[in-house]
Parts: sequence; structure tokens; C-alpha cells
Amino acid sequence: MIPAAFEYFAPKNLDEALRLVERHGDEAKLLAGGHSLLPLMKLRLSAPRYVIDIGRIRALHGVREEDGRLVIGALTTHHDVESSELVRQRCLLLAEAAAEIGDVQVRNRGTVGGSLAHADPAADYPAAMLALEAEIVATSSGGSRAIPAGEFFVDLLTTQLRPDEILTEVRVPVAGRRSGGAYRKLHQPASGFALVGVAARVRLGEGEKIESVAIGMTGVAAHAYRAATAEQALAGKKPGAKLLGEAAGRVTEGVDTLGDMHGSAGYRRAVATVYARRALEAAIARAGGKTA
Amino acid sequence: MGEMNVIGKRMAMTDARAKVTGLGRYADDLSVPGMLYGRILHSPHPHARIRSVDTLAAEALEGVKAVATGRDAPTPYGILPIGHDERVLALDKARYIGDNVAAVAATSPEIAEEALRLIRVDYEPLPAWFDPLESMKAEENWIHEKRAHNIEKEYHHHFGNVDEGFAQADFVLEDRYYCGEVTHAAMEPHSTLAVWEPNERLTVYSSTQVPFYLHRTLSAVCEMPMSRIRVVKPLVGGGFGGKSEIIPLEVAASVLAKKARRPVKITYTREEVFYAHRGRPITIVDLKLGITKEGRITAAQARIVQDGGAYCGYGPVTVLYSGALLNALYDIPNVKFDGFRVLTNKPACGAMRGHGTVNARFAFESMLDQIAARAGLDPVELRRRNLLKAPCTTPNGLRVTSYGLPECIERVAERSGWAEKRGKLGKGRGIGFACSHYVSGAANPIIRSNMPHTTVNIKIDRDAGITVYSGASEIGQGSDTMHVQIVAEVLGVRPERVNLVAADTELTPVDLGSYSSRVTFMAGNACLNAARNMRAQILGPVARQFDCETDDLEMRDETIVSKNGAGVSMSFDDAVALAMVGEGALVAKGTYAPPEQARGGKFKGAGVGPSPSYSYSAQAVEVKVDRETGQVKVERVVAAHDCGRALNPLTVDGQVQGSVYMGMGQAVQEEMVWREGRLMNPSFLEYRLPTTLETPQIESIIVESIDPEGPFGAKEAGEGSLAAAIPAIANAIYDAVGVRITDVPITPERVLAALRAKEEAEKGGAR
Repeated sequence: MIPAAFEYFAPKNLDEALRLVERHGDEAKLLAGGHSLLPLMKLRLSAPRYVIDIGRIRALHGVREEDGRLVIGALTTHHDVESSELVRQRCLLLAEAAAEIGDVQVRNRGTVGGSLAHADPAADYPAAMLALEAEIVATSSGGSRAIPAGEFFVDLLTTQLRPDEILTEVRVPVAGRRSGGAYRKLHQPASGFALVGVAARVRLGEGEKIESVAIGMTGVAAHAYRAATAEQALAGKKPGAKLLGEAAGRVTEGVDTLGDMHGSAGYRRAVATVYARRALEAAIARAGGKTA
Repeated sequence: MGEMNVIGKRMAMTDARAKVTGLGRYADDLSVPGMLYGRILHSPHPHARIRSVDTLAAEALEGVKAVATGRDAPTPYGILPIGHDERVLALDKARYIGDNVAAVAATSPEIAEEALRLIRVDYEPLPAWFDPLESMKAEENWIHEKRAHNIEKEYHHHFGNVDEGFAQADFVLEDRYYCGEVTHAAMEPHSTLAVWEPNERLTVYSSTQVPFYLHRTLSAVCEMPMSRIRVVKPLVGGGFGGKSEIIPLEVAASVLAKKARRPVKITYTREEVFYAHRGRPITIVDLKLGITKEGRITAAQARIVQDGGAYCGYGPVTVLYSGALLNALYDIPNVKFDGFRVLTNKPACGAMRGHGTVNARFAFESMLDQIAARAGLDPVELRRRNLLKAPCTTPNGLRVTSYGLPECIERVAERSGWAEKRGKLGKGRGIGFACSHYVSGAANPIIRSNMPHTTVNIKIDRDAGITVYSGASEIGQGSDTMHVQIVAEVLGVRPERVNLVAADTELTPVDLGSYSSRVTFMAGNACLNAARNMRAQILGPVARQFDCETDDLEMRDETIVSKNGAGVSMSFDDAVALAMVGEGALVAKGTYAPPEQARGGKFKGAGVGPSPSYSYSAQAVEVKVDRETGQVKVERVVAAHDCGRALNPLTVDGQVQGSVYMGMGQAVQEEMVWREGRLMNPSFLEYRLPTTLETPQIESIIVESIDPEGPFGAKEAGEGSLAAAIPAIANAIYDAVGVRITDVPITPERVLAALRAKEEAEKGGAR
């Protein structure tokens, strides 16, 4: 439980941090809340030569609204997301996902950027960001690029981020009228990670038909993904119990499902269907102006 | 017995302030000048011959002060005299992943860790055994050469005649039950500070439930007389049985300290705690039960296989308890038991809260409900019809002196609303019922002797403070507070006047330890005897001065007064000063040994199970089952526990709630998952320990049967309620959704599979 020796930097601003990642990126790890990185280092599953603690960079904290989008700084804690009145009003799904992470201690330390960059296959934010069609902003000394959430997650613990980049913020489009979202999760009781997490976002259109729908899934596969065939089954149709059941039954279609001691692949597929239906029901109810 | 002032009152534990303020000192909080940090090298192989251990590079590392291997401490040991099969560091073979191979002491934890990486061990891997049912068929590659077919011990008991019993039955049922392995998960990881003293003595501070057995073992392994070793137990952050054997780090720290002639501290990482283990074994129970149509049990037969891991430990005791305590809960005329303790290449199992009885009780109480359904009987009614007629002695020689089970059953049935709720809670909701019991200490000591199991001393000097010296080990269960209460009650003083010195082999007389729920009954009785002895010493001179009999006097509210209010009144301080005239400091002693008639029968294995007294429990549990996912939520528990007299109802409530919580964890969440001898979940991120979030409302009901031999009538409170929780939950799930789960933990996956199988069967039936 003793990490390998490392050199520690605590840059005070983003420029300083960017210079450090440019120089050491290949052999460095960024430290934000530390709730993923430090356990890995203690178990020596990760032994970075340099640790760059970006926790002092004030500019990366906080949530604001800008051009019809929520902009969430990478160092915003889960607790801040969960309890932000702005997030609750504009994007209840995201606040719900944040509230389901780990436990109080984890939510007080863990950060949005850290969770996304780590890309744990059972983390909650990835599913939410996929369903919300968020953009993840990566910054290097050469400038910033916005990566669509749908392209960001590549594989187990692997993202589009380059070693010289820092994940600086997330931009979440604010949904308009007749939209609703919900996050539903089955916890692994010890760690609080998702055995299955489903983020669903729905916009209703003419004749109460589903105008658009996005379903983000986590815990089920090596990385979070959009349940495309389920979305297709729903688009343009009027939601009812039969339709929702059929669509939810497709959320793991074509997916190489994970299995472990907390739930076999078969069990995860079974509960993914149940939780997808529940998330969709709640999202549709909210889109229709009901509380769910 | 008149009205009492301290006994029976809700009293905060004497160490509570230290614990909640963080000022309490546990073993790992201790440090002394010059202290070294020890680490242990563990085997990566489940079964391997050790050809050589090369420690030269580690010894050469700057800051390393000692490196030890098996050759430094070759004396074998084990908690049972019949099971001395462990060495602190393996000599010839490693028998599980995690087995201890070498140890280092260095000036910093980092250097110690680095030194471990420099030790070269030449292993020759051997075929390994992981499945107990396969292992017991082994013809070769036995884990211990002397244990043929990897069977550590087997026992075959038959009381009455089960063939006749089953012939008399109208309903006979057979089933197999499986319980996965669980571990104690005490919050405090094991830690030992061994101090080599300048006068060639060894002082060992350790997180132990059994300072006395540790003392003996250190003497043997370190080859030093016990008189030159002192064992001190600081605050212990939970034991639950996991610190009731000699744990390798305790011996390794001592061996290193002796070798380096320096103090050495070793604290296990959480992963090491999981591998040190000694928890509840995988258990396979084949149970057969017969009842008449009136609901009388005619016979019970159990074949129990326990997966003991690589060393003996408490193993034979664990398997014997599983058989012995098939008795003494209900009246069963014919009982047959075949028990096998099997060796496998995994960490040794041992004693865990409810030692040996829990998994057998799960099977039994589940089957009672299954057979009640077959016979069309209410499960509670079936239990009512099979009560013992206490006082009595069971066919296997267990003496039941007090029996609060009937009252436990009635009060739980009433409080839980059993009659109104069973089968009527609506979709996905159910209520279940179960009973359990446990010993109040073992009537036979682990190491056979005719000495008392506990001695307690009390000293009063000129400050009129009362110091109690007891070897009993507080592990969070209330041992210290119990002593203070008993002495304060007998001597009629405020508890604040009583100071306790406990669990220090230099200062306190021997107590056998905190295991098998023996402390309140045994140390409590010794303490009571010592206090009465002290009382007589104080009252004698007072009676002489006032020319009355000591029987005319009583001690209360810090004074000595006449019982009839006539004349005598003397403060406690004055009475003590009077008693010391010509005597000096007052010293009193009390002992306890279980009576001969409590010590059981004479057959092989008869020594385990007998106790001076048994506790009784009944529980009702309400659950909600999500039919789509198989998730089980325990929503309410009503638990009644017969603890004789509740010396401290606050701690009894706590013990009952803790037992229920722990049972619930095993029932629906916890399991150690093994793959080829490797533990897949050696952390609290993966081992699914419930937290307060999953813990329901637990309503405890204290039933006081007042045991004729317990101190003030008290008996066991800390373990007996655990076993009922598991079958009560299984029975509630059956009531909720109609599926019978016979495998523990009852995971959502198992429930969902059973629900689907039931749907399929019903569809098939409809066709």
C-alpha cells in the first residue's frame, strides 16, 4: 500500500500545468480528486514518474451557463454538480447521475474531469455525457478542442485524450421544452460503482411522439456507449409499455457484455433492460411535464 | 436480590469517550523510540515446495535490521493442541496464496517493502486443491502429509435412532444447502508491536482477543519462558473471531524483534487481513428432517462439509459446533451428524461470530419452513410445537438451565405482526421467521486443565479507589464496562470509583480470552466472586464496630447502612479505612470454573458444545423483492434475544443489532470469491460489506430468563442473534415471491434465476 516514488508538481494556473504536461505527459498522471488515481498507485497498478496536482487551478472549478449550454469545469466535484441549483434546473439527469456516485466522501473529493478522463467502465458520468450529447474540452499548449462525448470513450480506461492535454471542461447542451432526462442505476453495494447505469434523454414532439432520444449505458461493457438500436426502435413512435419494453430489450444488442463476481454478463443484460425501461419511463414522464 | 443501581441500567461503555474522540490508542497507534517496521513476504503459489529462500540482497539493503525465514522459528503451533501444523514462516511448503515465507524489519516501511522485493524464493509448484468435495477424495499431493485425503478431522455422532425417527414421521424432507465463505471485516486491521526490552524480555502489544494463548505461543516459538514475556492488549477495533487465534504477524514481529534486538511493529494491509482470514468456511449441509402431521420433529440428520483452508486452526471445533448445536434449540429425540473438516489450498478458516453454528442453522431453519409448508403448518406454530422442556439435558449431553425461547418467539410474533402479515404483505413483500441459540462460553477449555477459566483480582488502597485486575479482553463487546458494573453494584459505589486494568499478562490474572461469548458469564462470575469477597472484607470490621452481623448491612450509594434502617451509617471511604487497620491494602480474588455437570458427555468430540448456559433468539424479517432484478431489500427486523439478565441493556441492544447486521451481510451480500486459490475481492471496494445505507430498522427485544448460574442471571448476548438472521431472510423471500433459495449469499442473480425457473415451471404446468 505504498506507492512507488514519484515527483510531485502543484501548478497554480493552467498555463503552468500545460507546460508540465507538454514536458512530462508520457510519464505523468494528473491528480484531481485522487479517488481513482491514488488507490491505483498504492496498489502499484499505476506508477507514474510524475504526478501533476491540478487541484489548485481555480479556473477549472464551477458550473456556469453560456450560450444555451452548461459549462462545467473539470475540477467541479460530484457534490457541487449534485447540489447545483443550475444543474438541477437545466439538466436533472446530470444531477441525478452525480448524486449516485460512490458515497458522500467520494462525492466531496471526486471531480467531473477526473472521472471522465479515467473512463472507468462502471463510472456514472460517461453514460450521462453520452445521453446529453455533451462535448468534452481538451486543452494543450497548442489550444483547445471539443470532443463529442460519443467519440471520447475508446476502450477500457482509454479515451481520446492525448498525453499533452488536460481535460478542462465539459459543455452540456441545455434541453428545450418537452424534454426530459433521467439516470437509473443499480449499485455494486461495496464500491457504489454501477453494475448497470442508464441515462435516458427524450424529447417529445407532435402527437406525443418521441422526437429524439438518447440512451447512455455504463457498467455493461468495457466503456460507456449509446444504445443505438434501442434509440432507433423508439424514434418517431408514441411511447407505450409495449414499445418501451421492446426497445429496452435491445440496449445490450451487439455489445460485448462484462461479467464479474458482482454480476454475470447474463445478469447485467437482464437488469440493463429493466433499468433502461425505468430510465425511459422517467424521462418520458418528465418530458411530459410530470414528476418522476 | 433487591433493587439494583448499576446492573440493568443503560450505561455508556467505559472506553466510549476515547473511541469517539479519536484519543483511544489501538496497537497501530503505538510507537516507541528506535522502532522498526516489519513486513511479511507472502507466497504467490497456492501449493509449492520451497527449495530455498535467498535473503542476502535484502539483508544488504541499507536500513534493513533483520530478515527472518522459517529456520529462525521452526517450532510449529496452532490454537488447538491437536492442530500444531503452522509455522510463522513456512519451512518446507507454502500451502496457500498468501502463506508466510519470510519477514523483514527495517527503519522505514518503504525500506521494508523494498527489501521484500529483494528476497528470492525458489518454489516448486505442486498440484493444489481448491474444492472441498474434490479435495476430500485426494489420493496424493496431500496438503499435510499426515492428513490423509486432506481430511483434517471427521466426526460421526448418533443420538437416539434416526431410522426409527424417520419411520415415525409423516413428512420427510431432504435438501442441500450451500454457504459461501465470509470474513470478519473488523474495522481495525491486525497490528502488533513487539518490543525487545533491554533486560532481555519481550513485551508484545497486539490486537488480539486471546492474550493468554498468544503468550503461550510466543513462549514456544521464541523459545523463551512465559515469565519473560508480557502480552498487552490495547484497544481492539473489532474481533468477531478474527483475532481469536495466533495471527502470523504477532509471531513474526516478535521473532524479528528478538533477532534485531529492537522494537518491531507490523500492521497488516487490508489485503493481508483478508488473507489472514480465519473466517466462516464454505459449508455444504445435506440435511434431512422428519415431522409428524401434528408438527413434532421426529429426527434430524445432517452431513456437513466445511472447507477449512490450509491449516487446522479452530477447524475441529468449528465442525463440532455445527453438529452439537443441532441440539439444544428444539426438542429433537433422534439426531445424527456426520461432519468433515477438509483441507484446501486457501487461507485457513476459523472462528467467526456464531462459530460453527450459523450455516447449519441456516439450513435447519430454512428446512423447518419448507417442511411446514409441506405439512400445511404455520412456521411459527411448528417451532412452538418443538420447544424443550427446560431445565433439561439434550441427547448429546448439553445441559439447558434457562430457556427464554418461548418468550422470544411470542414477543417477536406479536411485535412483528406475524399473524396479520404472513402471506398478506402484497406483491414482492414478505415476512420470515427463524430462531437460533448460542453458548455462553465453552465449558471445556481449549487446553485441558482443572484450573479456573478466569481469575479476577480487586485492590483497594488508601485512596479508596477500587482497581479491578482482569485478564478479560475488551474487543468492543463491553467486557470492561461489565466488570465495572458488577463491582460497583456489589460494593454499592458509583462506577466512576472503579478503575479496570485489563488484558495485560504482567498485571492481570489469566482469562482465557474473548471467544465463544464466554466473558460475561465466566469473567463476570469471577468478578462477582471477587467483589463479594471484597465486600466481606469491608463489612466485617463495620459489623464488629456496630456489633451486628454483616448480613444486617448493605452497601449502597457509597455508604454502608443497616438493611432495616437501624443505626449503622458509614461512608464507603471510612469503611475502607477501618478495614485497612492492621491489614493494609485490601486485596480480593474471585475465580470461575464451569461446574462438572456442564461439561458434557464422554464420546469423541463431546468436549465442544457444552456450555454452562445457552442464549436464545427469535427473529422476524420483512423484505421487499424486486421481481425484475432479484434485488432483495431487508426493510425491518424484529429480534428478541434471551440474554439471561441484561447487565447493560444499551450494549445488549448493540450486540443484537450488530449480530443481525452481520447476519444480513452474509445473507444477501457478502462472499469471499476465490479463483484457483486467489481471493478476487480482498478490499472493501469488492467485498460487499453492508453499510448503514443497506441496514434496516432493527428492533431488539430483550428477554430475561435469569440464568441460575450466570452473574446476576446473565448469559450470552454477542453472537446468538446472528444465525437466525440468515434463514429469516430466506424465509421472508419465500413468503414474498415463492422461491426457496438454498445458497448463501442470496444474491440478486440467484433470486432472479429462481424466479425465472419458477415462471418456466408454471408455464410448463399450465401447458
